[in-house]
Amino acid sequence: MKPFEGMRRQKEAGKPVIGCFPLYPPVELFHSMGLAPVILWGLTCSVHDADRHVQSYVCSIARRLAQLVMTENDLFDGIFFYNACDTLRNLPEILREGLNASDKVAPRMFRLHVPMVPTEQTDSSDYLANEIQNLIDALEDAYGMNFSEEKFAQSVLLNRKARALCMRLEDAVSQGKASFSEFCDTLMSANFLPVDEQIELLEAKTAALEVSEASKVDDHRVIVSGILPPPPKVNKLIDEAGLRVVGNDIAAFRRSYAHTPETWTDAYDYYLHFYRDHFPCTTLLYSADRRIEEILKMTEEHKADGFLFIGEKFCEYEYFELPYLEGRLKERGISVLAIEISMEDDATAETYRTRIEAFTEMLAAGKSAAGGVTTKQGV
Amino acid sequence: MAREKTNSGQNLTQLIVGSYMDAFNRWKSGAFVVWGAILIPAEIFKGFENVVYCVPETHAALCAAKGVGPELCERAEALGYSIDLCSYPRIDIGWVTGGRKISPTSGLPKPDLLVSDNNNCSLLVKWFDVHHRNMHIPHFILDVPFCYGPQKERDLEYILDQFKDLISIMEKMTGQRFDINKFYEASIHTALALSEWKRFIEFAKHRPSGLTAFDSFVHMAPLFTSRGTPELVEHYRLLADETEERVRSGVFPVPNEKYRLLWDNIAPWHQLSRMSTRLAELNANIIAAPYTLCIGGLEGSFELFELSLEKDPMWYLARTQNMSVCPYGLDLRLNAMSWAIEEFGIDGVIFASNRSCKAFSVMQMDQQRLISERFNIPTVMIEFDHADARKFNEESVYISMEALLESIEARRAAV
Repeated sequence: MKPFEGMRRQKEAGKPVIGCFPLYPPVELFHSMGLAPVILWGLTCSVHDADRHVQSYVCSIARRLAQLVMTENDLFDGIFFYNACDTLRNLPEILREGLNASDKVAPRMFRLHVPMVPTEQTDSSDYLANEIQNLIDALEDAYGMNFSEEKFAQSVLLNRKARALCMRLEDAVSQGKASFSEFCDTLMSANFLPVDEQIELLEAKTAALEVSEASKVDDHRVIVSGILPPPPKVNKLIDEAGLRVVGNDIAAFRRSYAHTPETWTDAYDYYLHFYRDHFPCTTLLYSADRRIEEILKMTEEHKADGFLFIGEKFCEYEYFELPYLEGRLKERGISVLAIEISMEDDATAETYRTRIEAFTEMLAAGKSAAGGVTTKQGV
Repeated sequence: MAREKTNSGQNLTQLIVGSYMDAFNRWKSGAFVVWGAILIPAEIFKGFENVVYCVPETHAALCAAKGVGPELCERAEALGYSIDLCSYPRIDIGWVTGGRKISPTSGLPKPDLLVSDNNNCSLLVKWFDVHHRNMHIPHFILDVPFCYGPQKERDLEYILDQFKDLISIMEKMTGQRFDINKFYEASIHTALALSEWKRFIEFAKHRPSGLTAFDSFVHMAPLFTSRGTPELVEHYRLLADETEERVRSGVFPVPNEKYRLLWDNIAPWHQLSRMSTRLAELNANIIAAPYTLCIGGLEGSFELFELSLEKDPMWYLARTQNMSVCPYGLDLRLNAMSWAIEEFGIDGVIFASNRSCKAFSVMQMDQQRLISERFNIPTVMIEFDHADARKFNEESVYISMEALLESIEARRAAV
């Protein structure tokens, strides 16, 4: 299925499609108001028009996002963005100019400022509540749809269910019941679907995997980290090398689905908890301290031997934390491989084969030295 | 030809050297040391008796201007920090992790508190987090919402709340009480200094210009190292008086000025003298830059925003948190730049695309097109890095600049 088919279907059914800039937009809110939110990452389009507006030293996520909106603007009835990163905060006006330059109409723009202060430092709850209220008002004005707490609660439950299914699928990969490639393909496809179809797809996948046997092969257990999952060909290399992905710290995956508030009094309270207690991310500035500890905990719980960092070229948020994180992991005997992914790297993925294989051999040598038994999974 | 050192130039050296020495001396005597981002209102720290305030960005710029930027960057890269990271933090991490002797000031005194913000760029927070983790120092984050239009009242209130939290944390950590009168005094000093700064900048409107943008780059340093002090007021008064006198006497940095240019980005710290000299040889003068024009203004406006007696200085400091180009969007940048082009009689604009500062650079491609269309003046896009000279290709940049001058000439001939 083509990625945007789901969006087109919803649009044809009369649902305004809201293209959400990554990373953690309030999708429950949009959904509850009868809108069709879709998070615009995992795009694979090649970039041409956008290069007239965005420099080449900007990350592929922003460049592809700009390309998509500038060429497929008819897909969107609205664009949502928040202060996720310095590039993304500048992008809305760039998109508007790009569209104006080709005599196209820019979709409506909606925004939110997510407070970036640690709770123990500043109480930003009133500020965030006000921001959420303003967003609701803007959406009601734009689309004539009313917000209701009841519908919002239903949307939260649906999204929570989808997120829980993602966790189950992640567990299945961890047990060796599914390959990392399959997992990434499924989740990236689900991203472009409405939440009820996401649930359908994920339920079908998890049900099929429940009858599979867990792998008994003691392959090398790794955590994969990054903003986006590796390109499909790199995923294949990871699987072929016998690396079992026992957990991930990927922004488009675990960082997005690991947490949904259990209880809340209203939408403001929900988003207060949603952002404050969110699974830590390099872009959620207040979560920096928690992030390192969370990753260390994950490696311990999953008995990971290795940590595979998939760096999004030019994402400075990620690169600032890497040296410290790498040091902490190595202190615990966890090997780290950092590879950098840029624009067209799926086409040149073979260049990573040697590095991934060498990393696997290093993990094997580590196990042998520790007296462990290593069995390579067949390619 | 080298320009003689002016009285204000000599005073600048004394002020900068004095401020670093003072910081070290007071640290040795037990003062509480804050490292802050440049837009953090240092006036707040002046409300405490025994607090020293240091600015890593200004120190990194000084290292770059003194030619040690690449060496310090390499030290950080050897520790695993990517070459794609901004060169300021690479320099900073470079001296902190064993490169202190390379720094012209021997670095900065060890901090007790780190205060970063995300108005200029969120990566300042990530940068200060590196120190927070490695040195185990508390880190206060000032969150300033980005402006797509005039700063919103609720954003201003949010900033004010955070100022109060910062004061409260400072009181707890230092064991001192915040003295509001000292804070007011410091705020008035800053406001007076900014007024003198604007008077200095205004002499660029003269033909030929009374200054180069490079003068403004160099003289902006004490605004961050000596903010809120009477010495800062005196320095900018001296600078403005001296520039006025030179203009009156017919002494100009580029006497045969033919081309009046605007530079759009952070200063090329490693090229200050070389670039101004080479351009002067072509009778070209970069007379202004949004980077220094914005000082004392508001989001989208380079005009002086005065501290009103009816307003609380705390309000004034919160209101000016978005003034420095990066914290506001394209429409506001166009407003401000358009004003500058008209007021300063600009013939051409150099959009300096800076790999180390996406926050400043990322919308320049549209800005360039829109400015060219609006004013029908030549513009050029060059690539550089503000502090890492390894990412600067001098000849390629000069070819572009010469093409810009030729283009200005061709348009004049066509009229």
